[in-house]
Amino acid sequence: MKQNTVEKLENTARLLRRDVLEMIFHAGDGHPGPSLSVADIVTALYFETLRIKPADPDWPERDRFILSKGHACPVLYAALARLGFFPQTELAGLRSLSSMLQGHPDMNKTPGIDTTSGSLGNGVSIGLGMALAARMKNLDYSVFVVTGDGELEEGVVWEALMAAVKYRVGNLIVIIDNNGMQSGGSLGSISGLEPIMPKLKAFGWHCQEIDGHDFPEILHAVNEALSKKQQPSIVLAHTVKGQGVPFMIGDNSWHKRVPTEEELRVALQALGGGE
Amino acid sequence: MGNTASTRVAVTEALLELAEKDPGIVLICSDSLLVVKAQPFIEKYPDRFIDVGIAEQNAVGCAAGLASCGLKPFYVTYAGFITMRACEQVRTFVAYPGLNVKMIGANGGMGAGEREGVTHQFFEDLGILRTFPGMTIVVPADASNVKQAVKAVANMEGPAYIRIGSGRDPVLPDPGEPFKLGEARILRNRGNDLALFANGFILPRVLAAADRLDRLGIKTMVVEVHTLKPLDRNTLLKVLKKTKAAVTVEDHNIIGALGSAMAELIAEEFPVPLVRVGLQDVFPRSGESEALLDHYHLGVADIVQAAQTVLRKKGKI
Repeated sequence: MKQNTVEKLENTARLLRRDVLEMIFHAGDGHPGPSLSVADIVTALYFETLRIKPADPDWPERDRFILSKGHACPVLYAALARLGFFPQTELAGLRSLSSMLQGHPDMNKTPGIDTTSGSLGNGVSIGLGMALAARMKNLDYSVFVVTGDGELEEGVVWEALMAAVKYRVGNLIVIIDNNGMQSGGSLGSISGLEPIMPKLKAFGWHCQEIDGHDFPEILHAVNEALSKKQQPSIVLAHTVKGQGVPFMIGDNSWHKRVPTEEELRVALQALGGGE
Repeated sequence: MGNTASTRVAVTEALLELAEKDPGIVLICSDSLLVVKAQPFIEKYPDRFIDVGIAEQNAVGCAAGLASCGLKPFYVTYAGFITMRACEQVRTFVAYPGLNVKMIGANGGMGAGEREGVTHQFFEDLGILRTFPGMTIVVPADASNVKQAVKAVANMEGPAYIRIGSGRDPVLPDPGEPFKLGEARILRNRGNDLALFANGFILPRVLAAADRLDRLGIKTMVVEVHTLKPLDRNTLLKVLKKTKAAVTVEDHNIIGALGSAMAELIAEEFPVPLVRVGLQDVFPRSGESEALLDHYHLGVADIVQAAQTVLRKKGKI
């Protein structure tokens, strides 16, 4: 991979993280920690992988993207705005009454959002339907689903994992933002989910494990997943909740919390200057 | 009670006809293919049939994904597994985005669940779905009407639910006008003493009650409200203004469906006496369909009694 590509992606991710914090600060509401942990995955997909046309968001042949962990939508909105799906000025309206940017993604209100999401655990099922639709319509798009790790506790996820293997949907790729935390604390303290990888493997998916903040690793894994035409793929991406903002790392109160003006200043300084 | 015909087989027959003309028709099951005897569809359109296993939430999510890509999925299983097991998926991923997913729920009503007992008797489906904005809800009276309803919802945009029965479903005698989605249908018009509003497989009993009332000198209108949502308010209000008394009859909990919808309409628009016949907010038992309906006060005599009660309230007797 070209060094230039990686540097560009790193810079884009940095800008998206800045957007996220400013959006949540202005909105007075939102989930910074989960948005920051998934920021590099969203950046890699939207700025390198996905076959999309920002000027034609409903293009039938586009790749689909589902943010199953819909509460991390600020980073998705920031990416869509920077790609030109809608003006960046919209970002300031997050979660407000007149805004196109709902508290969780709404496929009918926001250009570029392929799926309404926010109720956890449902992205893989919807992605399965989209992947099967490609087969029925003889189109060659891929479907990317980004889930949290905590939402794997939902039973419907495993229903969908079983069915996807039955239907050999090679165009379905699930990336798990494995930051190890959920709303109420660590995965280990809340659920019996871990270890995750042996369970995924046992379900028959093509499985990879990567550092979800390392662009060459993310893109390599995505390309390998795309090469598997007869088997759905999972990428378990190890991430850090709050990545990029030192004082948010290791403090799960930032799952859903609004930075003060001073905290925002410190966070933006840590991320480095704007454009 | 009279002839029967399978509302379940009617679904597969309608889908076969639809699929021939429309390549977007997809059948989704959750190990429920035998519910509607779907084998002829599967044999003819193997690539347009999806079975996700006993996994209703996944089935609805999968249907949403298919619909968002322009296909027309029909998801068929038991009514309660759609509307209760997968309730939130229906609400958030089908109704909220307004996706073109059609759902068909079997064993709709206590009578259709009959011997299976409460786990397979579904008398809450309509009430639950009625609270979801944008949901079209159809409660056809018999197999022929199910077939027409399936075709009608296939030709409309957006989410819809059709309630079907056990496969041993009574045939509606002399429906008169053809089924028209969204329009209440006047099945009998003998006079203006009161109106009997009903839907579903209970209708033969309602017609029998109307006949008995006729012999007692009480002249009724029988109105089939097969489309529970959107409610045909205009027709219903016209009838109410003529009869100034209403009885609703439904195989559903008394809370949430036709009786509730009519009570809301009557209270807000044209207050007149109303009596609701239905399952009186109790869990029923296993049993043979007709015996169950009689036992839980959905008998012809109960409907006649309700009519007499409402007439007393009206000051007529």
